[in-house]
Amino acid sequence: MSAKEPVERPTEAELADMSRDELLVLGGKLDGVELVEYPDPWPVKGTRAEKRAERLVAFWFALAGLAGLAFLGVFLFWPSSYKAPGGSDHFWYTLFTPMLGLTLGLSILGLGVGVLLYTRKFVPHELAIQQRNDGRSDEVDRATMVAHLADAGDRSTIARRSLIKRSAGFGMGAFGLGAGVFAIGGLVHNPWSQSESKDSLWHTGWLETNGEKVFLRRDTGDPHQVVLVSPEDLDVGSMETVFPYRESEKDDHEALSRALKRSDNPVMLIRLRTEDAQRVVKHQGQEDFNFGDYYAYTKICSHLGCPTSLYEQRTNRILCPCHQSQFDALQYAKPIFGPATRKLAQLPIEVDEETGYFYARSDFIEPVGPAFWERKS
Amino acid sequence: MTADRTSEVAAKMNRHSKFRRRTAATLAIGIALLAVGALYSLFVPEPQTAAAQQDPALVRQGEQIYNNTCISCHGANLEGVKDRGQSLVGVGEASIYFQTHTGRMPAKSQGAQIQRKPAFLSPEEIDAVTAYIVSKGGAGPTLPEERGEALRGDNPARGGELFRLNCASCHNFTGRGGALSSGKYAPALDGVSEEEIYAAMVSGPQNMPKFSDRQLTPEEKEDIIAYVKSVTDGNNNPGGNPIGGLGPQSEGLIAFIVGMAALIGVTLWIGAKS
Repeated sequence: MSAKEPVERPTEAELADMSRDELLVLGGKLDGVELVEYPDPWPVKGTRAEKRAERLVAFWFALAGLAGLAFLGVFLFWPSSYKAPGGSDHFWYTLFTPMLGLTLGLSILGLGVGVLLYTRKFVPHELAIQQRNDGRSDEVDRATMVAHLADAGDRSTIARRSLIKRSAGFGMGAFGLGAGVFAIGGLVHNPWSQSESKDSLWHTGWLETNGEKVFLRRDTGDPHQVVLVSPEDLDVGSMETVFPYRESEKDDHEALSRALKRSDNPVMLIRLRTEDAQRVVKHQGQEDFNFGDYYAYTKICSHLGCPTSLYEQRTNRILCPCHQSQFDALQYAKPIFGPATRKLAQLPIEVDEETGYFYARSDFIEPVGPAFWERKS
Repeated sequence: MTADRTSEVAAKMNRHSKFRRRTAATLAIGIALLAVGALYSLFVPEPQTAAAQQDPALVRQGEQIYNNTCISCHGANLEGVKDRGQSLVGVGEASIYFQTHTGRMPAKSQGAQIQRKPAFLSPEEIDAVTAYIVSKGGAGPTLPEERGEALRGDNPARGGELFRLNCASCHNFTGRGGALSSGKYAPALDGVSEEEIYAAMVSGPQNMPKFSDRQLTPEEKEDIIAYVKSVTDGNNNPGGNPIGGLGPQSEGLIAFIVGMAALIGVTLWIGAKS
């Protein structure tokens, strides 16, 4: 059924004579809307209550403004550089971020509350009823609409202009193909086909390039400082995280700090306690990877790649904090608990005769970290 | 009448003896207090000094204390007792300092982890035991001369870097501690003195790895201590409550609950009829 009741449309002269209220009612009627209630919230003007409401709204807006200014002041002048705890400055320093949040938060809260209060106090709460049209459109409307569309298609002559049709199809199709590449491109282009590069998943930053020795380097907190590791550095029952270093990177600050950041670089250099070292079980093919009591395992968990750097020096377990995998440092770092199924890759290490520093004889003989599609083991 | 008099005298005597008893009690308490004060001043302020000197009397005293408190687990010749205690030959001054000052030794019971408790031995007794154990030979890690705040380095930022690299995997990045395997755990670092942190780093108590002076120089260790001290003991607490210091989990939960409640409140207020 159609609920539309024909609304009498005013003539031009009538329209010119209508007041604003009448126009409002007419507009509603044309849309099938009827205003039931349209109360003025302050029927008596200038009462004290109205004045109070006005001041309340103004108060919140003013508060927002003041808090905004306070934010600017805090941002510019509050002591923001780090102060160590202990001194009296430390207290003020710790308030910097909370004050930023407090002032700007108060400002936006003031604006919000102001707007809300304004609508609640001053905008009339109208009650309107609108007729809804159910069912499909009239038969007349449907027939005329179809005719209109067909006519538009016909008059544009697209049906008989095959050159335009084909060229448009070509352009749109190629564009669609280009957009689709984003979705399926990863399945087509293999980023690991060059498996001999050190940036492939098969190798790490320890890969020897240009026949240059890769030394073991410690992180001293200063990324540009190079400190190499020698066998007398660690006490028994110690663990140290080491990173690769090449002589050619000596003055290359960027390469030096990149070596500390690269995700597959960290290696745990563990010095076992002498009595534990006698119980070590070595993996086949890795019998000479250690140097005395020193064993070097990757820090990247074979489960999902978290840093497995929780080394227990008495039980000789290496723990991964993410999913509680445990590896036994006395048995080629094989998994003994948790979800990991592969051992941690072991780095073959040796001491350089000339300098007395540790270096890696080669890269890991297997990929480090979690499984990937091409990996079979 | 005689009876009257005797009772009067008795009452007088009674009063006298009561007075005497009261004075005696007060005196006794005063003397006891003085004695305690004297003992206190004898025992407490003596600062720890490096206990490497071989004073025979001190070594003998240490041997006595050792025989009374340590021998059942560590053996008559410090050789250790199987399944009870390790050998103490060459453990070094730092290790003894850490284990006894944190009250871990003498241990209450065998278990996955020996826990911190109030120190059982007094500082003098610890000095004596240290002298005795060190006299049995074997050079272990020692403590530096400095004590207390002098052990805090002046670069806590570098200390923070080194802490996150070497310590945070077990102790959490602000020293809140964390779980290890089979019931063991890395303890939180609140309320641990500078000397104890230093001693733990060089001696590697329980399952903690050791950090030799060539791996972390003494200056680096002091920077780490400065960092630890700057984030523990309620120092890293600008919001008023650390809510566990676990980072995003607890903070996110609180923000969600508080924020959601506030949002619901505001929504109700907006929708309410005036």
